[in-house]
Amino acid sequence: MAKKKMTKALRDFWYGKPHSAEEGGRRLGEILEDKTQLYKHREWRGVKDTFYYMYMIWGYNYVHMVTDILKYSNNPIDFFKGTWRYRWMGQTYLPVIHWFDRGLQGMRGEALRASAWHYRAMVSASIQQICNFFNGDTRLHGGKQNDAYWHTFLAKETTCGTLFYPWMDAGYQYVPIEMIPYFVTCHVNSHTVLNYIDAAQSIGLPGDPCPMCQAEAGIYVLDDVPDCAPFVITCNEACDGSVGTAILQDWFIDKPLFALPLPMQFDDPLVKQYCMREIEECWKFIEEQTGVPFDFDCMVKYLERQNKLQRDEWEKWDVAAKTDYYPVNGVAQALFRIFSTQYGIQGDFWEENSEKVKKIMYKCVEKKINPFPQTRHRVIAWSCAPLYYSNWCTWAYNCWGLNTIINMDSLMFDMEFRTDSYEHMLEDMATYHMWAPMRRMAVGGMHHIFELWDYMERFNCDMVAMYDQLQCKGMQGVHGLFEDEFRKRNVKAFWMPHALPDCRTVSRAEIRGYINDYMTTVMHEEPLDPSLLDFDDSMTW
Amino acid sequence: MKDLKHLIYFENLLQEANNELVQQGKKEGLRAIGYTCYFMPEVLLDLPGCFSVRLRAPRCTSPDIATYYMSGRVCHYGRSLMERALEGGFNFLDAQMATETCTVTCRFQEHIQPKHLDSVEDMRIIDNDDFFCEFTDVPFKNSENSYRHFETQLRAHVLEPLHEHYGIDISDEALVKTIEEHNELCRLINEIGDYRKLDNPNITGYEFHVIQLVSLVCPKHLILPYIRETAEELKTREPEPKFPFRCKVVLAGSENDDPDFTKLIEGCGAMVVCDRYCYGAVESRQPIVLEEGKSVLRCIAEHYLKTSNCPRFMPQDEMRARKQRIANLAKEYKADGVIVASNKFCEYWSYERTIDTFILKRDYGLPVCSIEKEYINSASGQLRTRFQAFVESIEIKHIQEGK
Amino acid sequence: MCKCKIGKFFLKLFGILFAANAVLFVVFFFDLDGKLLFNVVEPFLKKHYDNMKRKDVLNMPYDTDKFPKYKYDEK
Repeated sequence: MAKKKMTKALRDFWYGKPHSAEEGGRRLGEILEDKTQLYKHREWRGVKDTFYYMYMIWGYNYVHMVTDILKYSNNPIDFFKGTWRYRWMGQTYLPVIHWFDRGLQGMRGEALRASAWHYRAMVSASIQQICNFFNGDTRLHGGKQNDAYWHTFLAKETTCGTLFYPWMDAGYQYVPIEMIPYFVTCHVNSHTVLNYIDAAQSIGLPGDPCPMCQAEAGIYVLDDVPDCAPFVITCNEACDGSVGTAILQDWFIDKPLFALPLPMQFDDPLVKQYCMREIEECWKFIEEQTGVPFDFDCMVKYLERQNKLQRDEWEKWDVAAKTDYYPVNGVAQALFRIFSTQYGIQGDFWEENSEKVKKIMYKCVEKKINPFPQTRHRVIAWSCAPLYYSNWCTWAYNCWGLNTIINMDSLMFDMEFRTDSYEHMLEDMATYHMWAPMRRMAVGGMHHIFELWDYMERFNCDMVAMYDQLQCKGMQGVHGLFEDEFRKRNVKAFWMPHALPDCRTVSRAEIRGYINDYMTTVMHEEPLDPSLLDFDDSMTW
Repeated sequence: MKDLKHLIYFENLLQEANNELVQQGKKEGLRAIGYTCYFMPEVLLDLPGCFSVRLRAPRCTSPDIATYYMSGRVCHYGRSLMERALEGGFNFLDAQMATETCTVTCRFQEHIQPKHLDSVEDMRIIDNDDFFCEFTDVPFKNSENSYRHFETQLRAHVLEPLHEHYGIDISDEALVKTIEEHNELCRLINEIGDYRKLDNPNITGYEFHVIQLVSLVCPKHLILPYIRETAEELKTREPEPKFPFRCKVVLAGSENDDPDFTKLIEGCGAMVVCDRYCYGAVESRQPIVLEEGKSVLRCIAEHYLKTSNCPRFMPQDEMRARKQRIANLAKEYKADGVIVASNKFCEYWSYERTIDTFILKRDYGLPVCSIEKEYINSASGQLRTRFQAFVESIEIKHIQEGK
Repeated sequence: MCKCKIGKFFLKLFGILFAANAVLFVVFFFDLDGKLLFNVVEPFLKKHYDNMKRKDVLNMPYDTDKFPKYKYDEK
């Protein structure tokens, strides 16, 4: 008996404890402090993975959080000044490693490595954006409009970065206004954004519009956006709330502003011509503001890099859809995809890290390694995710064996650009622009949102995680039809109510509660790790 | 004041979408074409052979089944339309000319649209075999590109489907004739509405609201005689000896097809002299001007994009000009203040209202009452308190200014 | 003598590296970085941001004719 125990202890030491309760599992919930979810001690993943985590994730990323600043910042001092000046910066940048921890909890082997490289790329892209913000920020430079200020494009975060490629070689940088202060912030530290939502409501905005739009307006109300560019491009993000946000933002920005709306009925072939002209007008506006002409060759150069990234993604999706060997977990897959397509090619971080992930994936395929061996259900996540709990899929895998294979937002921008002529490029640019994030769920006809069934089949999924953004009017408006279709088609689906960035409306614990209820009462399944069923993480980042 | 001869008749017409005149129009063999938004040019739906009906859901206070389909967290107007449709209240419609101009009305229209998809079953909400629903893409700007696009859209998604399905004459001659009738209606409504600019108007905001609404929801040729007669009647109608209200206000904001809301405001002492909201007359009753060198349809497309004050318009100059326009209206109609009302869950107006509340007061010196309302609110004690307080504040301001 | 010095140097280097790694491991394993950030750094920064003097953006001008109409496709 003692020998058995000793052998198990040694095995656990060397390989880490097994996942499931049946095998004398690891009980991940017990290593976390109540409420804060700080680690009592970090997870022992076996010798190899623990030290991989320590050196190649924890240490490596801490080091790169410094070296990336040196790489992208014109003056590293600005970075510290910016941290002191902007709440989203100070409260978000420091806990980054704990964002890794949450997303990579329980991962082992190839899943751990591949998912972490996706995270790495996102951190790099974020630091680049932060540096672009600060390089030209007049508030950090005594009110001076320096060279970086005149070489920065500011645009609403869902204006796709591809639009700005023609000016990249002329030294211009694109900064999506809210991507770091709002979007990334929510993932890394869910408390920060609450200040912005409250600020928007403090000037009389009702609490019912989409909280994302509220927060995007709130960062301006709190005067927490760098003044780093001479003009701004805005868009409607294909939702009413975003149009409203643009009205408030225009007041507070008070700079030349060009509106580049996304047409609503984007399937209509007649709409494309209109959209193409709008894009051309936007380019003319940029030319007028910068005095620098549109450079088609430069556009082609970057689009081809983007096409390559898209082909890589298709390759990954193919493996994810047809095999059990795809090594990236749900949250790392989703965020990398959304972030990279929206921000575009502005550095080599996407491509570099994508290559690393592909290598790991090839290894899994060749050696038939299943990185998620405890998968019970292959899940497709539909509609938009709770930003404050994007790592729910990591929890769901650890607790229930729900492996999130793909999600709706990853499937946007699903195309290559033709670069053989200006006309072809422009036509594809219009399509790309119109397929913005959240587009499928928001507008353009019901058939897009109900493409769920096709994607379920394509990705070989047997369960749907149906995000239920309580303040998204577009999705709320089809709620009943989904209920009807789920019943009619006998699709296993659980609803996940949430309020996008606002963890006060539906807490993470409540979200887990919905899933737990579904898995026990409908699916009659036992948790893999019962310690993760019920815990209080109300104070965590 | 003496009661308007047709007021009760008009009020009765507003009790149901499928009202007496709509039924009469259908009996005449005309096609009833529904729409919800100003951006769907009413004039195109009034071509010979059909008539427009701007959809309302009067007296719908509890949209239960619609709430199952659309949840309780979307605009009450959109849900009420859905409920009324589910109850069979819109079965008289032969077509719905839809626009995706605000999310919830769009979703309502998508629900009633026969989609013929494998992915989602049609609910066949409108129990009418002929019924079809066509969406038009409405631009967010009033630029040359937008005019061109809108004209193309209106041809492809309004005129051609009407012609294909119901053989409606969509020639320029037919359009010009319809515009003439439309312009006559506009002239009459404006003539009636202009009385509100008088120091002591001989029409109330409520009465005008009712008249404007019937002009939107009934076949034009059937309602015009009544409106003509009302215009004549008003020429000699004596106002109250003394202005019966305590102040005058412009009512601006989102969708409002509830005359009782206007009555509620007026019951608190503020006469609504100007209706700058969806379903109001400020935009929809401006006559369409045909310009030489431009096609008739192009003129219509331009007209609707140029006259709209909807907060969904995004050009910077347009976003800013909207506030100036409200201030101009207040001046034109001699209003003492502005009530900005947005429907709960209306995202466009939530933001526009927020900024209006600051800017109209700060930059134009206009007292502003900013409220959020439901689709049907006549029983709201809270709103009554708000309006009463607003009226009092205006009176105090007047006293302080020595007026 | 020389070999011994080099050996000692490497031994010392190894010792330093080992100690540094051991310290790092303790910080890593017991999440001391997280605890410091959560309990000390973030509350301090929050206090700073909460007390920061900010521009009242509601005083921003809102001129209707400050910017031209950005239209590029007019006849």
